[in-house]
Amino acid sequence: MSRRSYLGEMELMVLLAVMRLGDEAYGVPISKELLILAGREVALGSIYAALDRLGEKGFVSSSLGDPTPERGGRAKRYFNVTPTGVRALKMTRAALTNLWSGIPLLEGKRL
Amino acid sequence: MVVTHACPGSDNDALTGDLIERFREGQTRGWFRRQVFIAFIVSITGGIRRHWPHFSYAIVATVLTWFFSDAPALRHVPGRLHWRDLPWPWSQLAFELSRPALLALAALSILAAGLVVERSFRWISLLRTEVFSLALITFGHYSIDLFPWLLRPVPGDQNHKFLIVPVIVPIVLSFFVFLVSAWLGCVSSSRHTDEFRRRPANP
Repeated sequence: MSRRSYLGEMELMVLLAVMRLGDEAYGVPISKELLILAGREVALGSIYAALDRLGEKGFVSSSLGDPTPERGGRAKRYFNVTPTGVRALKMTRAALTNLWSGIPLLEGKRL
Repeated sequence: MVVTHACPGSDNDALTGDLIERFREGQTRGWFRRQVFIAFIVSITGGIRRHWPHFSYAIVATVLTWFFSDAPALRHVPGRLHWRDLPWPWSQLAFELSRPALLALAALSILAAGLVVERSFRWISLLRTEVFSLALITFGHYSIDLFPWLLRPVPGDQNHKFLIVPVIVPIVLSFFVFLVSAWLGCVSSSRHTDEFRRRPANP
């Protein structure tokens, strides 16, 4: 895995949330998904910073929606996971699974 | 207004819209203010991360010019430039600014290394940064006379004056002078880096 394809913890969580949300992935649902599923209340600014880093790495792409009055006339920015992002997720999961296995304490066995 | 300029990349409008949407869903003013503050801090740290060569140059140049200008090795620099033989204002510039200029030049090595790592190295960026640094140092040095109420004569020496502001103020100003110089000097390099960063890792 090259230096540019590493996923930090926040990036990993945001990327997974974007993937779960599919076509409805923008700031607000992503933050709600992180709160409900990961129990993390993450500031929207931090989510956009993580999405910016993921964009730099080519793991997400984005497109603008239409401006709506309930958002003060601001458009939503929808995010999608790219094939490169999916590859990075798979590699990260494989690496974490390898690290996780063989540790008796984490597998519920007695030491 | 803060949040409109706070978000990294081109997501300011989207972030503002998200904050408004959540606020209208029933979040408090305190929540909104906290979100704006966090977005502002995240934006600053993101800016430092994106432009770390500029910040490194500004820090090193500030430390060098403030703490090493009187180093024994540099005391003879104005003399070696034969400043006494030069016409005014070159004599004054050579006498007063040759050492800061030399130290800023030394600090450019840090900027150069950073630009190489970021794959946006250009000689012209270094040249422009040095020129902007010298121009702004000179302007800052001589513009002090525009604020006579900030100057007091040194007791027993009416020809010399000292600043009455805390020493941290000119140090911070110097830092921003070098930071602005690096930013102006590397504008095209930064654009190049941003384009590089936004390119997918494996298209």
